[in-house]
Amino acid sequence: MLEGRAGEKSRSKTMPVKKRKLNLRILAPAVVVVLAWASTAQAYIGPGAGFAVMGSFLAMFAAIFSAVVALFTWPIRYVIRAIKHRHAFARAKIKRCVILGLDGLDPNLAEKFLAEGKLPNFARLKEKGCFKRLATTVPSMSPVAWSSFQTGSNPGKHNIFDFLTRDTRTYMPKLSSVDIRGPRRNITIGKFQIPLGKADIRLLRKGKPFWKTLGEHGIFSSIIRVPITFPPEKLYGVQLSAMCVPDLRGTQGIFSFYTTRSEGDGEHTGGERFFVTMANNTIKTKLIGCSSPFRKDGSALACPFVVKVTGKEAADIRINGETRHLKKGIYSDWVKVAFKAAPGVKVKGICKFLLISTEPEFSLYVTPVNIDPEKPAMPISYPTIFSTYLAKRQGPFATLGLAEDSWALNEKFITDQEFVEQCTQIDAERETMFFDALDKVKQGLVVCVFDGTDRLQHTFWRQIDPEHPANQGRIPEGNVIEQLYMRMDQLVGKVVDKLNDKKTLFMIISDHGFSAFRYGVDLNRWLEDNGYLKVIEEKRGQKNLSAVDWSQTRAYAIGLSGIYLNLKGRESKGIVEPGDEAGQLRDEIAGKLGALTDAQRNQPAIKQVYNALKIFNGPYKGNSPDLLVGYNRGYRASWETAIGQVTDKIFHDNTKAWSGDHCIDHSFVPGVLFCSRPVVTENPRLMDIGPTVLEMFGVDTPKSMDGRALAVVEPDSRKATGNK
Amino acid sequence: MTELLAQLVTWINVPVNVLGKALFGFIAVVPGWLSNTIISAVAGVVLLVIFKYTSNQRAIGKVRDDIKAHMLALKLFKDSISVTLRAQGRVFRGAFLLLFYSIRPMLFMIVPVVLLLSQLGLWYQSRPLLRKEEALVTMKLSGQADAALPEVGVEEANAFEIVTGPVRVAAKREVVWQMKALEEGEHTMRFRIGEAQVEKEFVVGEGFNQLSTKRPGWKWTEILMHPKEEPFGPDSPVQSISIDYPDRSSWTSGTDWWVVYFFIASMVFALLFKPVFKVRI
Repeated sequence: MLEGRAGEKSRSKTMPVKKRKLNLRILAPAVVVVLAWASTAQAYIGPGAGFAVMGSFLAMFAAIFSAVVALFTWPIRYVIRAIKHRHAFARAKIKRCVILGLDGLDPNLAEKFLAEGKLPNFARLKEKGCFKRLATTVPSMSPVAWSSFQTGSNPGKHNIFDFLTRDTRTYMPKLSSVDIRGPRRNITIGKFQIPLGKADIRLLRKGKPFWKTLGEHGIFSSIIRVPITFPPEKLYGVQLSAMCVPDLRGTQGIFSFYTTRSEGDGEHTGGERFFVTMANNTIKTKLIGCSSPFRKDGSALACPFVVKVTGKEAADIRINGETRHLKKGIYSDWVKVAFKAAPGVKVKGICKFLLISTEPEFSLYVTPVNIDPEKPAMPISYPTIFSTYLAKRQGPFATLGLAEDSWALNEKFITDQEFVEQCTQIDAERETMFFDALDKVKQGLVVCVFDGTDRLQHTFWRQIDPEHPANQGRIPEGNVIEQLYMRMDQLVGKVVDKLNDKKTLFMIISDHGFSAFRYGVDLNRWLEDNGYLKVIEEKRGQKNLSAVDWSQTRAYAIGLSGIYLNLKGRESKGIVEPGDEAGQLRDEIAGKLGALTDAQRNQPAIKQVYNALKIFNGPYKGNSPDLLVGYNRGYRASWETAIGQVTDKIFHDNTKAWSGDHCIDHSFVPGVLFCSRPVVTENPRLMDIGPTVLEMFGVDTPKSMDGRALAVVEPDSRKATGNK
Repeated sequence: MTELLAQLVTWINVPVNVLGKALFGFIAVVPGWLSNTIISAVAGVVLLVIFKYTSNQRAIGKVRDDIKAHMLALKLFKDSISVTLRAQGRVFRGAFLLLFYSIRPMLFMIVPVVLLLSQLGLWYQSRPLLRKEEALVTMKLSGQADAALPEVGVEEANAFEIVTGPVRVAAKREVVWQMKALEEGEHTMRFRIGEAQVEKEFVVGEGFNQLSTKRPGWKWTEILMHPKEEPFGPDSPVQSISIDYPDRSSWTSGTDWWVVYFFIASMVFALLFKPVFKVRI
């Protein structure tokens, strides 16, 4: 049974009760002695008392000062707010709305575990309110789905169609939701440069999140880790960014692995492996950071560290002047690391160390270096101080968008148990900030998304699918997913107990469900086999579509579900004429691909291929892939397709730990909706949630939204508001 | 118990006086503001390090973070009066906790700091008499208040002359002289009380010198405050002899102000070096 040990970890941080009582027994009389000392001695307390007095004096002064300011200004601000937002809550049916997002929670599995009596708190909610399937988006993946959730609209209006899109000039894949560029101007001095200004970070998701509309009506929101909120936008409330927040190196997460084992050095997907040598049980190496902003060649900054093996299962690591004790198999706390960029200039981040082994070979795993939330190198929250507040309140926490390092598991650098522990720790951090939001926001909106449900189902689906190729013929052991659902049920229980309030509407949603990912489909190979794509043979196998001969390619695939036409006037080397030729080509590819059968297993690989022009509406539908592939259960775009690599066959067994997925036809993977009140509307959709919340707060749904308010039954009444 | 403490302090003063003379001898040759600044700087840093290793840095850090978090909460959730009041309450609580966590290091620091300050007091609290300057010499005698005062006299010497006295204040069991300093240097006044003979040193000159304003009796607090001269024993007919040296006038190294300056300067240096030694206060 694989379980996280976050509970044990938190217990070890508190002082035992016996020691606390002993300290008090010694200190209390000492305090009396000091205070009762002859008055002349008080003149000699000096700096000792000075430290005591100064620290607490300053804090006391700050408290008194802020209390005075608040007392004087709060009534004025209250009046201003009352006038400015006099209609806030005027038509509201609720005082507060709490939305708990459990990314990827699957309704089929939820039903199964409910029937087995393993989810008593979900069952309570279902009985008191409702449990329905929640239709997801096309395509059914998190960046698209959560964008539709936020904006209440289809992707044609919010501009997010996949994790990745392509640069139409270079065909290189790039993130679809954010564009990060360095400062526009630099002063160059030889091989050095001085950047002028900040990095240019732009959110590419369009549309207005529904909480901004709430804010315009004086309703406060706390938005915690909702995907596709980086960089954070201004709102009446607080927000912590999530998916696509980069690591300190500007990537979506590169781990580091240090080992004395010599084979297999270099880059791996999602990480880097470094060969190190040990002398006198000591290893000297360095952690790689971001590119230096002061060097023209952009060479990477490094932070040296020393590891001293102290036992069979222990080592000490010394980094930035501090020593940490590592035990085999146990993650360190978050360690602050500083990369020296220039004299007096440091770039700071945080990471965790995991000692894998000390003998016969030494191995050390280091998580991606996250942006330090206390002093973020780029904006990851609104207001900027919000991440500092959370860091001061609960300690450092994961800021990376895709914080759970599934690639380290995929590439077998960490074990199942170690990955589960990582996810559990991140969920524990999330839970702390979620409950803090519930404490702080008694009126308004609280939204918090947990990603662990998604990551763990992705990586442990093989445990509930005995025929999965990742099991390699063995009977799978373990019940990580069941444990996960039960842990989420406990979370739900805590939340329900806390929200003992009829004026609070509580919803649990997921952006999509889950299914097996047994076989990858190399779309580019299929396109090549069917004459739509031409490969430069000597470059076959190269990534990022660099093996493609564009002069003879009419369609190509990149990302997890999209096919693009090589359109003239849109792509830099386009050859397909827009208009009729493009339209015919779309239909032709859709028809042929829709009939694709996996001959080996004698089953269809594709359920449906969607024409983006027909399913999306809005100003940004032209940015979408031309065709969206709805895979059949068990199939998904291959790993190679996602990164623009053309292989030698169409179907590939997926043997990675990442064995479950949802980037298939949307009809197979709806999400869930649990609500504390009955919802009468049949077939609710994810994009309906925003309008529903607006309706419950008495705010009109903007016309730009495609979603409609769900009919929610009012408590102690059979009357339902919203659309049935 | 008090007698034991008096003995203990007397023993401690012996090596402390030697050390004090060796370490602080330079005060005599440099300006007062400079000497006090140097000593404050070194003391501040040393005490900072002591604070680091005798305090619960982790707990202090946690409290500081809590205070900061609640201060930020005041700004983030300023429109919520309940959050505002709760956050302020937590800041006050944090302030008290900081005081609590500072008690242990303060207990460690109190003894060395008191010894240090008593040594510095010898240099800064008063200035020596100038030639021809006058001062009161007060002898406090042991015995019951209503008992007769014994015969007391001062041995004549070239270094001083008695201008007035002895003036006997029977109710306080004090005998007071007004004396005039005649010669520069460190001198000894000899007194006769009945058959017994006691001594008191005094200093005439300019600049900084170690001055014992009082030769104390057998009270541990007085011995601590006036460490230079050997205290009068418990059976001595004399409880104390004090000389009313004039005040030194200076913001940095003058009477009473030297303590204030020392306190402020040592805190400033401690704060400056706080990030170097990574100490949380």
